[in-house]
Amino acid sequence: MESTEPDVESREAELRRLRARVARLEAELAEQAAHTNRVVAAAEERTYWLDRWHLDLNALMRRRGAAELRAGVRAVRAVYRRGKRLRRRLAG
Amino acid sequence: MGTASVVIPVRDGARYLGEVLAALAREGPEEVLVIDSGSRDGSVDIARAAGVELLEIAPEAFGHGRTRNLGVERTSGELVLFLTQDATPRPGWLAAHREALALEPRVGATFGPHLPRPGTSPMIARELTEFFAPFAPDGRPTVQRGLDDGSWHPGFLSNVDAGYRREALAAIGGFRDIPYAEDQAAARDLFAAGWAKAYHPAAAVLHAHDYGWAGFMRRYFDEYRGLRETVGHVERIGVRSTARHVRSEVTGDRRWLSEQGATGPQRAAWTARSAAHHAGRRVASALGSRAAALPGPVQAALSLEGRGQAPPAPADVPPPTAPPRSRHRAPTRRRELFDDVARLARSGPAPLLEPRSGTAQDAPLHVAVVIPPFRIGSGGHNSIFQLCLGLERFGHSVSIWLADPTGRQKEEWPGVLRATIREHFAPLEAPVYSGFDDWFGADVAVATGWETVHPVLLLEDCRARAYLVHDHEPEFHATSAESRWAEETYRFGLFHIAASPWLRTLLEERYGAVATTFRFGVDHETYRPQPVERRWDTVLFYSRHVTPRRAVPLGLLALAALHVRRPDVRIVLFGDHAPPQTSFPFEHVGVAGQAELAALYGEATVGLVLSMTNYSLVPQEMMACGLPCVDLAGFSAETVFGPNGPVELAAFDPDAIAGAVERLLDDRALWEARSEAGQRFVAEATWDRAAREVEAGLREALGRRERVPTAP
Repeated sequence: MESTEPDVESREAELRRLRARVARLEAELAEQAAHTNRVVAAAEERTYWLDRWHLDLNALMRRRGAAELRAGVRAVRAVYRRGKRLRRRLAG
Repeated sequence: MGTASVVIPVRDGARYLGEVLAALAREGPEEVLVIDSGSRDGSVDIARAAGVELLEIAPEAFGHGRTRNLGVERTSGELVLFLTQDATPRPGWLAAHREALALEPRVGATFGPHLPRPGTSPMIARELTEFFAPFAPDGRPTVQRGLDDGSWHPGFLSNVDAGYRREALAAIGGFRDIPYAEDQAAARDLFAAGWAKAYHPAAAVLHAHDYGWAGFMRRYFDEYRGLRETVGHVERIGVRSTARHVRSEVTGDRRWLSEQGATGPQRAAWTARSAAHHAGRRVASALGSRAAALPGPVQAALSLEGRGQAPPAPADVPPPTAPPRSRHRAPTRRRELFDDVARLARSGPAPLLEPRSGTAQDAPLHVAVVIPPFRIGSGGHNSIFQLCLGLERFGHSVSIWLADPTGRQKEEWPGVLRATIREHFAPLEAPVYSGFDDWFGADVAVATGWETVHPVLLLEDCRARAYLVHDHEPEFHATSAESRWAEETYRFGLFHIAASPWLRTLLEERYGAVATTFRFGVDHETYRPQPVERRWDTVLFYSRHVTPRRAVPLGLLALAALHVRRPDVRIVLFGDHAPPQTSFPFEHVGVAGQAELAALYGEATVGLVLSMTNYSLVPQEMMACGLPCVDLAGFSAETVFGPNGPVELAAFDPDAIAGAVERLLDDRALWEARSEAGQRFVAEATWDRAAREVEAGLREALGRRERVPTAP
């Protein structure tokens, strides 16, 4: 008897601790689901026109040459912006 | 050969019809029949003036095969010839057809060349000339005896200019009632029945369309859409092959122009038009044969006929002497339409997770609402979205999942679906998912129609499931697999939240289901007493005949009886785009917006809304505007509104319904009492209250999970 009582107590405490942890994790999960819903809804708000025109940017960027094209456009844009900055600087 | 009858189907053919009939008068057939299907350009007068026989049919009765069969029935010649309204016979046309038919006793059909009219573009003129020339390589009539007899285009036969031996047409059972190419089908049927067909170069007609570029492209679109629909032809297209094709055709046109004596500048001028024509034709043909993939309005815009959708599948009756035909069909969908029914039967429902603590009491929930496809104006979906909005207001996180196995809304991607819901139903915060690829679990998954129950039962990671039942859906179907499956959904042990006590009782008594109820709400912002003057002569009927449970034929009978008794009563019909055909005059509103409906309810004297299953939202909305209404006794309305409540109830009988309407028209005290009772009744019917009732149902579903962990 003397040797079992502390074991039972510690097991019950462990159980309580684990239950509390499960409840915490479940609450986190519920918050995560609600957050997911908010994020997806906001994304759907932003992508309305893409959806309207059936444009899947992920699929588009997976096409051959799409990444290179984007890199090219960015490079041209960078050169253009630098040129613009330089012109402003030279103009005082 | 004996007598000859000529049949000409006509619709708005005034431009050439006079010329065609004059040419026929010269040719001298025994009989000429013009079948007009709704011309508005004087074609009928032209036919009458020409003294030919005229038969007028409704535009919707027209069918290429059907109408020509009618022509065969209404004429008596042994040789029945068909012309189109713009095909002018050349001199000697009839004699040539007779000669062709006499070539052999088994010649069942004859045809001749289509010659270009003066001024026809070289592209079309060359095409016609080069197409018909090989039928008679030495200029003499020829006979084709089968699809594999090695002759030039053996399957070609065109009712622009064709003659048939009456006996042969009878042998194949006439023309097939198909949307296009009934003539080519007749050629195949004749061959299959052992008949031959003959070409005579002198059986010629002047026939060439002179559309502009866009008109030609739209015509090619129609032509190839028709070919796809009738024989399954798909026009291939590729950049290189199109370039090669265009180059070859342009060279051909230029050569032909040279042969016709065109000058250098003339050839140059036509070159660009030729290139545009042939390139456009390739694109329009490819588009036409893939038209089914285009949305209806786009098809209508691209079609010369203005047709948006494929016509209903016709009855494809094989000719009596031909063996039944079969055609290999490639799979057209990834999985079967009702695949979830079979999956559920095989594997059973997905196991449920344990409910989170507190969700049966007051913790916020993640509610995943699974909906069937919807249209703007759907009352059931309006209710679902209003309830979702209420749940959001109470702090729950809602997500909407569209179960659309038929692909009815596949062209509407989630962002568009969500915008449609927000604009036309309720300003939900919820995201909208099309299908379940992104499914991530929920506290409660809610089925909202029988087709959504099977997918809901298969969803993983749910803690409870509920079934929001708006109506007794097996009654929406005739005896069928669907009606049986709909019935079965009430026996899966889901927790039901029924949209009326009547429905709850039905679910409990007939199916042993566990259920609670909610009552439809009313948007009191929109539906309230209106600042318009009330008329005392107006009966407003919810005539939604696409929804059979609304008993529209019964309502129309009642209104007919009412009109006989009181011809001065103004009858207004709403709820459906197409007005019904009636024996009494009425005004048709069609499908109106909510604000317009509210104004209409504010103006009318009596509303007539019949519900043979669960009650509709419409009576409550009428009551909110102070409009008393008549509904059927013995159905859900009686249990919802009470036997002597705000609604005037009538037996399932036209005269009884007309009598109930008359009572409200005549008895102002009764009218006032019903109107006031109605407004009192709906004062408490808010969507927030309905959402609270649904929320309680969802928590009960979770609570039952806690108490009975194995319940589905």
